[in-house]
Amino acid sequence: MSKLVAKRVLPSKEAALFREVLSLYETRQLKKGLKAADQILKKHPEHGETLAMKGLIVANMGRREEGLELAKKGVRYDLTSHIVWHVFGLCQKLEKNYDEALKSYTQALRFDRDNMNILRDAASLQCQLRLFDGLVDTRHTILRLRPNLRQNWVSLAVAYYLNGSPEEALRVLENYEGTLKNVPPYDVENSETALFHVTLLDALGQYQEALSFLDTNSKSRVIVDKTAVMEKRAHLLSKIQSADAEQAWRTLIDHNPDCTTYYHGYVSGKSTEDTLASLREFAAHIPRANAPKRLALDYASGDTFKDLASAYITAGITKGVPSLFADVKSLYKDPAKLEIIQTLLDDLPADDPSIHLWLQYFRAQHYSHLGQYDRALEILESSITHTPTLPELYTCRARTYKRAGDPYKAARSLEEARLLDGQDRFLNTKSAKYHLRAGLVEEAYLRLGMFTKKDAPSPQADLEDMQSLLYLIEDADAHAKLGKVNVALKKYVAIQKVFDEIEDDQYDFHGYSMRKFTVTAYLDLLSWADTLRSHPTFVKAAISASKIFVSVFDDPSIIAQLSQPAKSSSAEKKAQKKAKKAAQKQAEDAKKAAAKTDVEPEPVAPKDEDVDGLKLLGCSDPLEQAAKFLQPLVDLEIKNIDLWITVYDVAIRRGKKLQAVRALSRAHALDAEHPELHVRLVHLRKTVTEPVGDVFDEAADKLLPKELSLETFNSQYLQRHASEPLGVLAAARALHVLGLEFEETVFATLAPDVQLDARTALEAVAFLEKAKSARTEEYKAKCDERFELASVFKTREEQEKLRKEAVNIQIASLPDEVEV
Amino acid sequence: MNIRLARVQDQQGMQACNLQNLPENYTMKYYLYHIATWPALSYVAEDSKGRIVGYILAKMEEDLAEGEAPHGHVTSISVLRSYRRLGLAKKLMIQSQDAMATVYKAQYVSLHVRKSNRAALGLYKDTLGFEMKKIESKYYADGEDAYAMNLDLTA
Repeated sequence: MSKLVAKRVLPSKEAALFREVLSLYETRQLKKGLKAADQILKKHPEHGETLAMKGLIVANMGRREEGLELAKKGVRYDLTSHIVWHVFGLCQKLEKNYDEALKSYTQALRFDRDNMNILRDAASLQCQLRLFDGLVDTRHTILRLRPNLRQNWVSLAVAYYLNGSPEEALRVLENYEGTLKNVPPYDVENSETALFHVTLLDALGQYQEALSFLDTNSKSRVIVDKTAVMEKRAHLLSKIQSADAEQAWRTLIDHNPDCTTYYHGYVSGKSTEDTLASLREFAAHIPRANAPKRLALDYASGDTFKDLASAYITAGITKGVPSLFADVKSLYKDPAKLEIIQTLLDDLPADDPSIHLWLQYFRAQHYSHLGQYDRALEILESSITHTPTLPELYTCRARTYKRAGDPYKAARSLEEARLLDGQDRFLNTKSAKYHLRAGLVEEAYLRLGMFTKKDAPSPQADLEDMQSLLYLIEDADAHAKLGKVNVALKKYVAIQKVFDEIEDDQYDFHGYSMRKFTVTAYLDLLSWADTLRSHPTFVKAAISASKIFVSVFDDPSIIAQLSQPAKSSSAEKKAQKKAKKAAQKQAEDAKKAAAKTDVEPEPVAPKDEDVDGLKLLGCSDPLEQAAKFLQPLVDLEIKNIDLWITVYDVAIRRGKKLQAVRALSRAHALDAEHPELHVRLVHLRKTVTEPVGDVFDEAADKLLPKELSLETFNSQYLQRHASEPLGVLAAARALHVLGLEFEETVFATLAPDVQLDARTALEAVAFLEKAKSARTEEYKAKCDERFELASVFKTREEQEKLRKEAVNIQIASLPDEVEV
Repeated sequence: MNIRLARVQDQQGMQACNLQNLPENYTMKYYLYHIATWPALSYVAEDSKGRIVGYILAKMEEDLAEGEAPHGHVTSISVLRSYRRLGLAKKLMIQSQDAMATVYKAQYVSLHVRKSNRAALGLYKDTLGFEMKKIESKYYADGEDAYAMNLDLTA
C-alpha cells in the first residue's frame, strides 16, 4: 500500500462515520453531516476525503467560499482519490464554474474510470459547455458499461448528432432498434426515439426513407404522437414536391383549423387566385375557423380585398372582438388597403346601436394609430359618456395620450380602466406600466402589490423572483428617465441575472431529457439556450446599462450627486419597514422549519450589499462592465443597429479602435443612413487623429472617405435628410461634436416642412440639455406650443404639479380593500 | 391568431403572458419542465408578430394511485384580456385534450380553479364542459380554496 493510500484508509469507527457523512449529505441533513465530518477530522485532520465532504456541506449551507477552500485542501491532501476530485467538482458546479468542474471530473475519472455517477455528471457538463467531441467519448464509455439500458443508446446517438455526425447517430439508432424485442405499442419513449430517427433521416436528406419510416411506424403504433407524424409528413412531402403534400396539409387543417402554418403549407406554390379560392373553400367548410378568413386579407387586393375586408371587419365589430384592430393593422402597410378600410369606416352606419360601440372603438384605434390624436380622443370621450363601463375605451384613450406626449393623463386614464375591474391582473399590470412610464414609481408599486405575494418583502422583490422581464425593464427605464441611474442600473443587471439563471436552468435537462427520451424537445432546448440572449429585453437592458456606464465614465460627478442621502417619502419608508419585517419573518420561519426537521433550506443567496446600486454605478471599471454585458450580443451578431452603436461608444472610450470601427461597419451594413451612425462617423474621425494601422484605415475610409471634410460630410447628410426630424437632429449633434454652432440646426427641426413628432422633439430637448445649451427653454416652449396635447414640454415645476394631480385623484378613488 | 404546439422557444412568451394576466405564477424552469416532459401537450396562440397572447400549459398526472386511470392536468391556461371573444381558450384546450387522449391514453383531464375566480369558473364549466369534482381546502399559497374540476375524454 502506498503512503498516500494508507493515509486515506480510516479505522473502522471513522470509516463508518464517513459513510454516514455521505448519506447525510445525500438526504440533505447538512447540520448532522457537518458534525459527523468534524468528528472524523478531530482525529484525522488531514483526511482529504472528509475535508472535501465538509467543504461540500459547508458550501451547500451558503458558505460558498469557505466550502470551496476546504474542498481544495481536501484535494491537496489526497491527490489520487476520485472522491476528493468528484466532490471538488461538485463545489465548482455549485459556483456555476462548469469549466473548472469538468476538469475536476476528468481528474476523478483518471482514478476511477468506470464510475457511473461521475461519468453521468461529466456528460451533463460537456453538454452545458457544448463540448460535443468529449461528450461522444463519455456516452460511449457509459454505453459500454451499461449496454442494456435503452437511454444509453439514444444518448450516444444524440451526442453524435450534436457533434455534427448524423450518419453515425443513425447507425447507433439502427443498431439499437435491431436489439429491441417485443416493444409494446403505445410506448411513449419508443415513440419519441422513432421521431428522432425521422429527424436524422431528414437531416441526411433521405426524405423518401424518412417518409416510409414514418408511415410504417405510425401504422404499427410505434409513433403515438399523431400531430407530430402529420406535421413531419407534410413537411417532408412538401420538400420532395410530392402531389400528396396538399392532402397532408389539408389533414392538418382539419385537425387544427386555426394554425396559419398549415394554410401556408397548403397554398405554397399556388397562384394568388388559386390561393384565395382555397381559402374561401376552407372558410366555408370550417366556419368556426378564423385563420382562412384573415389570411385571405393578406393575399387579396382591389375589389376582392374590399369585399373580404368589409365582411371581416363588420363581423368583428358586430361580435365585439376587442383585438380586431390589432389583428388587421398589419394591412395598413399597404396604402391601397388602408384607403379601402378608411372608406369602409366612413360608410358604416355609426348610429346603428348594434355596432355603434365597437365601431367607435375601432375608429378611435384607427385614428390614434394614424397620429390623428384629436380625432381619436373626441371619439373616445363621446363613447365613454355613452358607455362608461367598457375598460377598453379607457385603455385606448390612455395609449392615445401616451402617443401624444402626455404620460400623466395616460396613467390616469388607465387607472380609470383598472378601477372598472379591480380583479383583472391584465388591467392592473397595464396601469402599473403606465404609472412607471409617467415616473410615478411608488404609485406603480402600490398597484403591482395588489397581485404579488403578500409575504414577499416587496412587490418588486416578488416580481424579480418570478423573473418578470416586463416589470424589470419598465422599472429600470422609469428610473433611468428620472435620473436615478443607479437604481436603473441595478434593475438592468437584475435582467442580466434572470438570463444567467435561465441558462443555468438547462443544466438539469441534459440528464433528465435523456431519461425521458424527449429528444426533439431537448434539441430545441439547446438551440434556444444558444441564442437565449437575443431576447429583445436582454438587448434593451444591455444597451441601456451600457449607456449609463458610458455616461458615468464621461461624467463621474453623477455618482457624487446621487450618493447624497435623499429624503425618502412616507410611502417609501413604509415599504422599507414592511420589507424589513418580511425579511425578519422569513428568517424566523426558516429557523423554525430547520429546527423541526433538521433538513436545511435551499442554499441561501448572500445578502445584497448594494441595494440602491450606488456601488455598481461607482465601480472602478464601468467600461469593462459595459463590454461584458454587451459581449454575448456581439457573439450572437445581433442585427440591431442600436447595439452596434453602443458597442462603438464603449469600445472607442476603451481605446479599442479596431473594435470601434468594426462596430460601425456592422451598423453601416444594417442602415448606412442611420442618424446615430452619422453622429458616430463624425465622432470617430474627430477622435482618432493618430495613425492606427492599415486594417483600421481601410475600414474607416470605406465608411467616411478621407478626402471628404467633416463639415462637407455633415452638410451633405443634412441635405439628404432635410425633412426628417431625426436626420436634422443628427446633423446638429454632429456639429456639436465638431465644436461648431449647432443650435440653429436643432431649431430647424421646427420648420414647417419637417415632420416633427413629440418623441423626436423630446430627444432634441434631451440633447440640448446635455449640451447645456442656453436655448433649451426656448426650444421647449416652442414644442409646448406645437404639441398641444403633450405635457412633456412643460417646465419641471409644471410637470411635477401634473404628476401630483394624477396621483391625488387616484388615491382618492382607490378601492377599499387596498392597503395604502 | 395562430394556434400551434408550444415549443421550448415559446416559454418566455408564455411566462410573460401568464405574469401579466393571472395571479398564479411560475419561474421559467417550470415551463421548461412541462415542455421537456410532455412535448405534445402545451399549445400557444400567437399574433401576427409572433407575440404569445394565450397558452395552455398541460401535463399528465405522474403519481397515479393504485387503479387510477391515466389522466391529464391543466397547470395553467390563459388568454390576454385584449384577445378575448375569439374562442381562443376553447381552441387551445381542444388541441391539448386531443393530444392527451391520443398520445397518453388519458381518460379525463383535471384542473384547479380559485373559488373566487368567477370568470375562469364560467369558462371551464360553461364553455369547456368541465364538472366540479370537489373542493380542495386551502389549495393556494394564500389560503384560498380551490375547486377541482374534471372533463371526461372518453365520451
